[in-house]
Amino acid sequence: MLACAGLGVAIVASFGASRWAPSAAAAAHGDAPPPRFSDGMVRFDRAPDEKGFWSLPSANSLIEEGKSAKMDAQGRLANLADASHVAPFQPWALALYEYRQKNNFADDPMHACVGPGSPRAMMTPGGIRIIQDRNLNRVYILYGGGNHGWRVVFLDGRKPPDPEEVVGTFYGNAVGHWEKDTLVVESIGFNTRFWFSNGGLPHTEGLHLTERFSRPSHDVLRYEVTVDDPRAYTRPWKSAWTLRWVPGDVPEYYCETGRP
Amino acid sequence: MRVLLMSLMLLVAAVVHAQEGFPLDGTWRGQRQDGTGTPVTIVMVLSWDGKNISGIIDPGPDSIQIAKAELVPDGWRVKIEAHTKTGEAISFTGAIDKLGAYDRTITGTWTEGARSYSVRMTRE
Repeated sequence: MLACAGLGVAIVASFGASRWAPSAAAAAHGDAPPPRFSDGMVRFDRAPDEKGFWSLPSANSLIEEGKSAKMDAQGRLANLADASHVAPFQPWALALYEYRQKNNFADDPMHACVGPGSPRAMMTPGGIRIIQDRNLNRVYILYGGGNHGWRVVFLDGRKPPDPEEVVGTFYGNAVGHWEKDTLVVESIGFNTRFWFSNGGLPHTEGLHLTERFSRPSHDVLRYEVTVDDPRAYTRPWKSAWTLRWVPGDVPEYYCETGRP
Repeated sequence: MRVLLMSLMLLVAAVVHAQEGFPLDGTWRGQRQDGTGTPVTIVMVLSWDGKNISGIIDPGPDSIQIAKAELVPDGWRVKIEAHTKTGEAISFTGAIDKLGAYDRTITGTWTEGARSYSVRMTRE
């Protein structure tokens, strides 16, 4: 996080189809197809005898697909007047987003080593692994950034819990299923102790995420998330970005207070 | 009994966890003075459902249902209206301070019947 923040590089966060095209400079395997299990199921993690993990997220903040706003590596808008373009905020949520932007993210829980939660963890540097446990019919997502969080996605057909009956967590309660090569994950039951995106977009305990993971090529993970939080946004909205396959192991890293 | 205790613990945990969402969500505590100068504790529990803010004052057997509550993002101004059991009008108007803090406060005026008091409510 700090390394990225230190760069201070202004980017244009836009999510056109061209963003999914692999960068020739970064790709180690070019357009090689993703590895698969013997039965043909796509692998989101390493093939045998391979080392690598997902990193280098192409986006630094959630922004509604099809919209664009110039922002820096921490999700700070170059022009605060663009705030209303980022997502279909309810008035209070827009005002809180603007407050956090103007306040230089002083209240960001990650400054106190509080975990990023979902889906911010998918844009937090530090490395990500997606482990498919086919015996137990689960997927484990391990996050090297933030405070080494991890989550379990149950693929055994269980129903998601009643949101009113669960204690909210940073990653929610997740169940998933496959749509061809795409892993679709539904999560509810979030707490509000975290900012769910860089840049300070607010959410409430009513947050419902639908995530779609796909691996169009060996080196590219496409991540798409639909945010449905009617207490904070006027309608469901979608954001998407890619991560790159990086050879090696997830680097060791521990958050220290004030240094997320 | 065990189920009840567990339910209460989960409820408390859920309230304690709420800190970064809708700014008024949660439990707020403050004090006013009665006619003899004795401090009287005020507790409000507020909740946002996406369209309306609802809640109660002084949870317990003598709790008072909040009739109307609003949050104006411009200045983070708060206005709450209710009636005592005897029918006296209650209103609380103020503004949120330390918006980004877990223990943010609302500083304002609590009016009950014909009397008004300066009150600071702190979020727990």
